[in-house]
Amino acid sequence: MAVLWSKDVTLLAAVAATLAPFASFVLIMVFTRSHPRLSAGLSLSAAGISLICALALLAGHWDMPEPIQYSGNWLASGDIHIPFGYLLDPVSLLMLAVVAVIGFLILVYSLGYMAGDPGFARYYALMSLFLWAMMCLALSPTMFQLYVFWELVGLSSYFLIGFWYEKFSASQAGKKAFIMTRAGDVAMFVGVILVLLNLGNLNILDMDNPSIAGRIPQNLLTLSALLIFGGIIGKSAQFPLLTWLPDAMQGPTPVSALLHSSTMVAAGVYLFERLFPFFSLSPHAMAAGLAIGTISMLLASTMAMVSRDIKEIWAYSTISQLGFMLMGLDAGSFFSGAFHLTTHAAFKALLFLCAGVFIHKFATNDIFELGEKGSRNLRVPMVCTVIAAGALAGLPPLSGFFSKELILAGLAGLANPLWLAAALLGVFLTAYYAFRPIFIVLFPHHSTSSQKASSASPDSGHEDAHDQAAYRLMAIPLLILAGMTLLLGFFQYPLQDFLKYQYAYLGIPADRHYGWLPYVASFLAFGGVGVAWVEFGRPGAARVGFVERIPILFRLFSERWYLDHLYRYLLERVVDKGLSHIFAQNDNKVIDGSIDGLGHGTVESGRIIAFLHTGMIQYRLLAIFVVMVLLSLYFFF
Amino acid sequence: MIVPFSHVLFLGGILFLMGIFCSVTRRNLFMIVLGVEIMLNAAAIVFVGAALRWYDLEGQAFVLFVLAVAATEVSVGLAMIVYAYRRTGSVDPSTFDLLK
Amino acid sequence: MTFFTFIFFLLAIIIVVSTGLAITRRNLVHAIIYLVFSFLGSAMLFYLLGAPLLAAFEVIIYAGAIMVLFLFIVMSVKVDSSEEKMFPFSQLAPTALFGFIYIIIGVVVVVKAPGSYAILETAVATPKDLGHYTLASHWLSVEIVSLLLLIALIGVLCLGQNKKGKTEDKT
Repeated sequence: MAVLWSKDVTLLAAVAATLAPFASFVLIMVFTRSHPRLSAGLSLSAAGISLICALALLAGHWDMPEPIQYSGNWLASGDIHIPFGYLLDPVSLLMLAVVAVIGFLILVYSLGYMAGDPGFARYYALMSLFLWAMMCLALSPTMFQLYVFWELVGLSSYFLIGFWYEKFSASQAGKKAFIMTRAGDVAMFVGVILVLLNLGNLNILDMDNPSIAGRIPQNLLTLSALLIFGGIIGKSAQFPLLTWLPDAMQGPTPVSALLHSSTMVAAGVYLFERLFPFFSLSPHAMAAGLAIGTISMLLASTMAMVSRDIKEIWAYSTISQLGFMLMGLDAGSFFSGAFHLTTHAAFKALLFLCAGVFIHKFATNDIFELGEKGSRNLRVPMVCTVIAAGALAGLPPLSGFFSKELILAGLAGLANPLWLAAALLGVFLTAYYAFRPIFIVLFPHHSTSSQKASSASPDSGHEDAHDQAAYRLMAIPLLILAGMTLLLGFFQYPLQDFLKYQYAYLGIPADRHYGWLPYVASFLAFGGVGVAWVEFGRPGAARVGFVERIPILFRLFSERWYLDHLYRYLLERVVDKGLSHIFAQNDNKVIDGSIDGLGHGTVESGRIIAFLHTGMIQYRLLAIFVVMVLLSLYFFF
Repeated sequence: MIVPFSHVLFLGGILFLMGIFCSVTRRNLFMIVLGVEIMLNAAAIVFVGAALRWYDLEGQAFVLFVLAVAATEVSVGLAMIVYAYRRTGSVDPSTFDLLK
Repeated sequence: MTFFTFIFFLLAIIIVVSTGLAITRRNLVHAIIYLVFSFLGSAMLFYLLGAPLLAAFEVIIYAGAIMVLFLFIVMSVKVDSSEEKMFPFSQLAPTALFGFIYIIIGVVVVVKAPGSYAILETAVATPKDLGHYTLASHWLSVEIVSLLLLIALIGVLCLGQNKKGKTEDKT
């Protein structure tokens, strides 16, 4: 294994794919920080190497009946061995490819978006770190290694969200993301420790083995599955830890694109896929996951319906789509979750990158302002946004339609029709909130101002060519991603074929097909679009959503269901006032009292034996020796 | 054959006691640290003897760590002695009785 | 009595006598020189017990670096040890008493323990074996020890940077 590693092409490719971004991170940080162009080149070429290796691995192992695992000892002390290696199976290869593709495209896009930023080199270094952490996470063979990179992903996203650290809100958002995900990570860590104590190792293949049910008692299995699911909740921004994600858009837009599509939040869903057999052994954990996915999906949809900030809308949509994925996975349909993760990565990156173009051009996040300033004149991003929003809404020939339909089919197979009803409501809401900003931007209310904007655009024509070059540079990744969004849906069967060996031993029944489901789903999606059109799109529309007419609901939704307030309140009341008060009381009365008592007692007893005790160090040494001798007397006789 | 294992234990024990004597009864900060060194050396001798007794390299590996700890201890201890000497001009432990 | 037994007793006598002389010297420099002899004896004992690498380390680190460090500091501090009160009774008496108990316990324990009469046969762990073993199975401990040394370095620098730059160099 380790001896032959240079001859083993697969391992070489895996090592190259995961090591290249890290090498570029180190090189940029150490040597080329003052040369932005060189740094970007390094980072791009590293991402390119990863992309080539990842695609080669995917192609080379298209038919892979057995997972391939490489591992070597990383740390050893006595009987403790901590292995380190790579685990290649369909799920991890698919994830690796998704991360590499999206990451590379976003790095290309960033050339235009971040041009001229003083932290250009730092930005590329951190992006490389981010990609490295995510790729290694995808290929981790043990939960320990996965946890290490899980935290590294969190760390690098903290750096990137707070990239413009001079801005107070950005550094606050970075801290919020870090601390809220940490709450979940603690739970996950405890869960992992529980597994370690009962199983003896943290090998993912061992954890996924059905025989684990015989090695861990059922309640402990459920408990650890729930605790690990806590980590997923934190990372994937599910209820109740969902408020960090909308704030995370304080970072540069390409960062949001990467964060929302394929790295940070996807890590949570990926972990669920990774441990899918483990979770499926515990029905309670699956039910809890289903409920949490549903709640966060609906909550985030309602929040997205009233927001005016384009990035915030897409951030809420990420939460709701992640909720969809978890619903699909928890319903027991493995492929639907994995497929939706893949399609979602493409169209969500596209949505954010398009939003980035608008923001770059018009320097505002507000959808109404964007519409008035004439965003519709930017043809490429506008068309791309419409395509991506269509995919998000699940409109028929786009990729989102296929994957969402699979999830719905999985939910329809459940005994309780409530979940399916909730998901169908979610489909309707998704279509509504996806097309609300589209219509607002596309058909600005004041046609005069739009005229003005379009007449102003020739003026901006003879702006410096630099801007045009940046725009063209940003357009290329958009077009590629749009193409992927259009076509990915038709790769459903090849992908299903590719993933069929994954967890084949579980005997997951093939997803049944419900002939009526696609029609209902697309009817609802078109219905959502239609409502959005009636309210915002058609000429002379009131441009007031139906939610906004009910003030209570509007305030509830736009204040994020008062979750932040609730947390703040809890933090102030329970932690600050309650616990701290108790602790302070404890400090004053119990600890101080006992310490004082101890001090007085020591002084008093010291006075009594002062003839022996001169406060000199050697008498303490002597006392240690005497106690040692007496103890050995006690122990040996 | 060399000697029974007990002889090595006796030698280590005697050296350890000497170290204790040195650090407990000598009124000199240097001698305290010196005594600690003697004790560590006694422990190292017993470890090496035990490694030979059971043909297990664990004992020898442990002596390596004992050496490292001894080096650390001496450097920090001597630095503290020099610091104390600069403040009081004495290395007699009975002058450091602020805690009394 | 084989040749090795003779060597063992010779080394034991050297070690015990020189250590005994070291701990009773009033002059610190003399004490340190005696202790160097004691450590050299220990190094040879390690060699006899089949640990050549440790013997080398004992000479280099204990007898070399640590004792020389002691010498430097003692000479730079210029301590006047003629006023030292050797073996004050209030410290000597309890130490002697409990030392005596300690010897009795030690002898009893060693005599009673079943395994302590096993005869040590000569064997050698080559430096290569020991190095392989340490780095293969005590990787983490080596890292921790290196961290400890780093912390000691920083601590010593902090303590020593006071006033005149008389910082101690460590081994």
